[in-house]
Amino acid sequence: MIYYIVSIIVMLIGLYAVLMKKNLIKIVVGLSLIDSGTHLLLVAIGFIKGGTAPIYSEPGLTADAMVDPVPQALVLTAIVIGVAVTAVALAMVIRIYAQHKTLDIRKIRSLKW
Amino acid sequence: MPELFPLSPVHYVAAPLLAAFLLPLVAKLSRSFIKILPGLTFLYVLYVSAVLFPHALQSPIIEQIAGWAPPLGINLYYGPMAGLFASLFSALGFIVWLYSLTQMKQEPLDRFYILLMMLVAGATGIVLTGDIFNLFVFMEITAISAFSLTAFLREDDKAEAGFKYILIGSLASTFVLLGIAVLYSYTGTLNLADLALSMEKVPLSVRVIVFGLFLVGFGIEAEIFPLNGWAPDAYSAAPAPVSALFAGITVKAALYALARVTILLFPFAGSMALISILGLVTLVISELAALHQKNLFRMLAYSSMGQVGLAIAALGLFTAEGVYAALFAMINHAIVKGMLFLAVFAMAGGSANLDNLNGMGRKKPVLSFMFTLGAFAIIGLPPFSGFWSKLSVLTAMGQTGNYIMIAIVLATTIVEATYYLRATGRLYLSEGSPVESKTPLSAIAAVAVLAAGILWIGFFPGSIDEILTAGAQDLLDTAKYTEGVLKD
Repeated sequence: MIYYIVSIIVMLIGLYAVLMKKNLIKIVVGLSLIDSGTHLLLVAIGFIKGGTAPIYSEPGLTADAMVDPVPQALVLTAIVIGVAVTAVALAMVIRIYAQHKTLDIRKIRSLKW
Repeated sequence: MPELFPLSPVHYVAAPLLAAFLLPLVAKLSRSFIKILPGLTFLYVLYVSAVLFPHALQSPIIEQIAGWAPPLGINLYYGPMAGLFASLFSALGFIVWLYSLTQMKQEPLDRFYILLMMLVAGATGIVLTGDIFNLFVFMEITAISAFSLTAFLREDDKAEAGFKYILIGSLASTFVLLGIAVLYSYTGTLNLADLALSMEKVPLSVRVIVFGLFLVGFGIEAEIFPLNGWAPDAYSAAPAPVSALFAGITVKAALYALARVTILLFPFAGSMALISILGLVTLVISELAALHQKNLFRMLAYSSMGQVGLAIAALGLFTAEGVYAALFAMINHAIVKGMLFLAVFAMAGGSANLDNLNGMGRKKPVLSFMFTLGAFAIIGLPPFSGFWSKLSVLTAMGQTGNYIMIAIVLATTIVEATYYLRATGRLYLSEGSPVESKTPLSAIAAVAVLAAGILWIGFFPGSIDEILTAGAQDLLDTAKYTEGVLKD
């Protein structure tokens, strides 16, 4: 249960940063935090307390003593995607900074909705 | 089906991806490969379409990846609907490649073509896959290529438009991923067909929440109001060939995902009605916004959203006629709007102020004629493709007795006619600067192929009737879908 709560808190912190922060880098960090929260939630779904890796490594090990491997595989994929998105976003921040010499979204008129 | 070997729907995704990753290598051998390779790739994929699509119309081709049977393995579902969209995407990819040969001058060209092929591969993957997490991955491939292409031109405020798109686009993918996570926690499966059968394990309240997550996630990519704030900026910032692909490919793929997931997993009357209403609101607001645009690309972008709204409104009727009409509207829009973007860019260049069209009727008669043709097709004048698509939308609405919807669609058509005829009037009635410039043949050829498509559907609407009917059935007959995927 604690994992679910923590993952939602992490997502909300990220959402707060995306919506309220004025610095472009902090907004990207917020995006990354939302991603991390989602990843934590995914792993938590497959988690079993005291469970081991899903490999039949010792005799007598049954499937219900193992954690669910599918969410872990999903999270690996999602992490890679998250890194790619963050990289592209930061690349654009660099371009915006090179042009406007500022990271403050209040000073960049074309970023207003 | 041994006689189909070695062609398989996997090639739709594999060929462009392979070519995209090979491109930096072959670019080292010879610069001219950069321009040739994407064209060859799209030609090959079109060949795959030509061979496989007739089979898919008879019975869906279900491909298991790496020999793992669903629901454990990932499967591709190549039915009439997926085949139609996959073929359409490959054809649009080829046309945009043809157009870019001469019109795309901004270096680095190798990266442009890499992203272009990734965009097409990702969007085709979305319509082909039978696994919901796979769908998410393809959606991300499409989105990341789209983000980068939006900011491809290194000038003015392109990076800002790209940043806006990233911000909202990655929120969209988070919503979809959350929805997938919740569904998995209740059902323990990711296969779409298996999910459709296990939905009763999910409590109704959770289903509503997950539907909301998917609606927002796919809705952002599909430009549904009020989630489409990124679109006008992205359309006007991206190079015009890419804007044509946004209208023709990324939006259509997201719409397909929304339609497939909603009909398979959330087939309640309420979800359909909500989609229909959102479509109508999108239609009205976008058309009114388009009326005030001075920038041609923004005008086309808003018109694009309006067309999407029309398709969604028809889709939400949830009848065979409604889905048929929605498919028709989506196909029509992909062809016509793609053509309009390409024609405008070839005439007016990147600075697409409405005034730049002045007097083009004399300077570039062929392109002007084709722009006019596209404008008439979008408005829905006979005998163009748009007429039949709008007629089928109105018929579908009439059959379900939604006369208010018909009134709204007709009213927005008048708005549409106003701003498109205004643009067309500029071509022929205004005096422009007498600067002569030749348009390269490849650009005219690309636009002409699309124009031929508009006329073909306009004069022979029966020719695609069978495909659209099969596609609509394919989408609505969820029992056939789940049985087909899970039979072995």
